[in-house]
Amino acid sequence: MAKSLGIFVTSPRNMRHVMGVTKAAKAKGCKVKVFFSWKGTELTKTPEFPELCNIADDVSICADSYKKVGFDPADIPEGLTDKEMATQAQHGAIIEDYDCYMTL
Amino acid sequence: MSNKVCFMLVHPDYTLDGFRSCLGLAVENMYSYAVALNNELPALDDYNKENIDWIRDMEGEVYSNVPANCEKEGFEPLTIEELGQKLRDMDVIVPYGMMPE
Amino acid sequence: MKILNVYRTAPTADVKKLVEIVSEGREADAFDLNVDAPDYDALVDKVLGADQTICWW
Repeated sequence: MAKSLGIFVTSPRNMRHVMGVTKAAKAKGCKVKVFFSWKGTELTKTPEFPELCNIADDVSICADSYKKVGFDPADIPEGLTDKEMATQAQHGAIIEDYDCYMTL
Repeated sequence: MSNKVCFMLVHPDYTLDGFRSCLGLAVENMYSYAVALNNELPALDDYNKENIDWIRDMEGEVYSNVPANCEKEGFEPLTIEELGQKLRDMDVIVPYGMMPE
Repeated sequence: MKILNVYRTAPTADVKKLVEIVSEGREADAFDLNVDAPDYDALVDKVLGADQTICWW
């Protein structure tokens, strides 16, 4: 059975790695969840972000971080819904519910 | 069994938020630890002090290899070698954020 | 215990020391992300085969 992979993104420099790993994991049949926190939420403004939301099984961000780095919480990034403007509990879900874990 | 997680915080712009993220897992019933490495923290405001107090209340701990952090904020002192040994006991290791320039 | 050490940038002396201690007596593998075109397919294979992945800064 294909494994699942959770990715915790806290650096604003790693979008190419997030995309590369997610595409490779999906090609192998893995379930992929990505959670962006702190300055990682700046990556919601990259052109690749909506595509990531299409490819991955679950994408969410820390709404508190998004606000703290200067974005308007009412301005929901393309690809996300209000429900995916979430909390650190999503990081907990990656650790508890996914087979493999990466920090990018 | 609860997971043991260690956040390693090396960048001054990421350390305080790392404590918040560490607390986020503590409230998810994980043993959550944070280590401020090679960066001296500014004077902490009440919000950040409370985050650290909560981590401790939830059976976690905050460490640093910077003596000033331990003296000013009461962090537990930890050398790189001691951190390495501690990491061997962790289920999840989180090198948080990025290295400073 | 099989550990995968992933390097996002060139490892510092502290990172090298931590990797040495964490990996001691364990099966350890490494992957360098700090290149122009990482082989993400190979990386994911390694992640899926490891008991623990550490993505150093």
